[in-house]
Amino acid sequence: MDEAPRARLTDWLRAASGDAALVIEKMALLSGGAIQQNWALDVSGGRAWVLRTDNAATLAVSHGRAQEYALLRAAFAAGVTVPEPLFLCEDVAVTGAPFFVMRRVAGTAAAHRVVKSDTLGGGRDACVRALGRELARIHTITPPRPDLSFLGTPPGDPYLAFIRDQRAALDRQRNPRPVLEWGLRHLERTAPPPVPPVLVHNDFRTGNVMLDESGVTAVLDWEFSVWSDPHADLGWLCAKCWRFGNDAQEAGGIGPRAALYEGYGQVDDTRVRWWELAAHIRWASIAVDQAERHISGVERNLELALTGHMVPGLEWEILRMVEARDAA
Amino acid sequence: MLREPPEGLDLLATARDVLLNELLPALPPDKAFAARMVANAMAIAGREAAQGAWEPDVLARMTALAGAPRAFAAAIRTGRFDPGSADHAQAAALLDDMTRARCAVSAPRALGKG
Repeated sequence: MDEAPRARLTDWLRAASGDAALVIEKMALLSGGAIQQNWALDVSGGRAWVLRTDNAATLAVSHGRAQEYALLRAAFAAGVTVPEPLFLCEDVAVTGAPFFVMRRVAGTAAAHRVVKSDTLGGGRDACVRALGRELARIHTITPPRPDLSFLGTPPGDPYLAFIRDQRAALDRQRNPRPVLEWGLRHLERTAPPPVPPVLVHNDFRTGNVMLDESGVTAVLDWEFSVWSDPHADLGWLCAKCWRFGNDAQEAGGIGPRAALYEGYGQVDDTRVRWWELAAHIRWASIAVDQAERHISGVERNLELALTGHMVPGLEWEILRMVEARDAA
Repeated sequence: MLREPPEGLDLLATARDVLLNELLPALPPDKAFAARMVANAMAIAGREAAQGAWEPDVLARMTALAGAPRAFAAAIRTGRFDPGSADHAQAAALLDDMTRARCAVSAPRALGKG
């Protein structure tokens, strides 16, 4: 960050924290997501913070920083293991984009390392049990919540709402997707009866959970949260496409599904399986959108381009899942 | 036949070997991911260039069932090929063949487990 915005940031943090002597001792860009930038801030007094702000090209489906800050506060209050949210700045004049500051938490999120480790998170069994407990805490957050009003009206039927939203996404895309339609039609034919919606993280998977050797240190990346069926989060975590090659460990490539369910509490496995198929369809559609940013020229980028080539493999999995579910 | 060999596929494969075997080990660790992405892109492009034509057959079968791809997708959405319908098996086989051909370029490992 240049000197001028950094000076403005220092002034802003002094006001927000009430510490007129506050100094940013060090500021470094962390490896962030495709949508956000995360900066590590070392602040006087031994304070270790993270500043989270928007990247230039932002996906339309993700919440902005102010909303993510509200979600983080709600989760923190519900006892979810998240970095404590400290300050929100919506004034773009300070750094050029809205940002918020949270406490910095130690740990590893890198998915390919996590699925290979037998010890991270306290060991495979303990880790997925802890992840189940985190999800159960997230799902204690229920509507109505004025502080989360940006999430919109909770759907009467989260299953049909998912199908409607996915079809709308397909209708916005460049090419028809018969296999994704095939999967969505199957989901429509097999949708379970609705359940009352709760706060669903909606990207709760290996790679978005920070771990150390003793357990979960932070649940990250709240920008896709919705009111929906709590089983949606369990399905997203267990979906084969999010096991990072470690297919035998059905909970995120980390540990056994049974341990995740035990950590969570009351689980309807049929509903989770519905959401696992849904997860493949949703991820395929997101991959199409990411590749479109490259194809359209909005953001020419090799990683986005290659993400598009994940779609056929996801489609193959969707066909096999539909086939097996129809035969059952 | 009038082009100068070695042709594009050979060049892609040979260049990819140089990238993976000579350049990648010499790169700083923070550039390894980008190098692997380049190798992956070259592999996909190579498989695409080597693949035989399958689209005419798939499009013809699609047309016989419902019309253009967009009409086929729309017909699936309305339930015209649901299990129990007359054309269910044909539609399922068509989707399988199409996806197998797409995976052969983009994700051959997906087929290995299928």
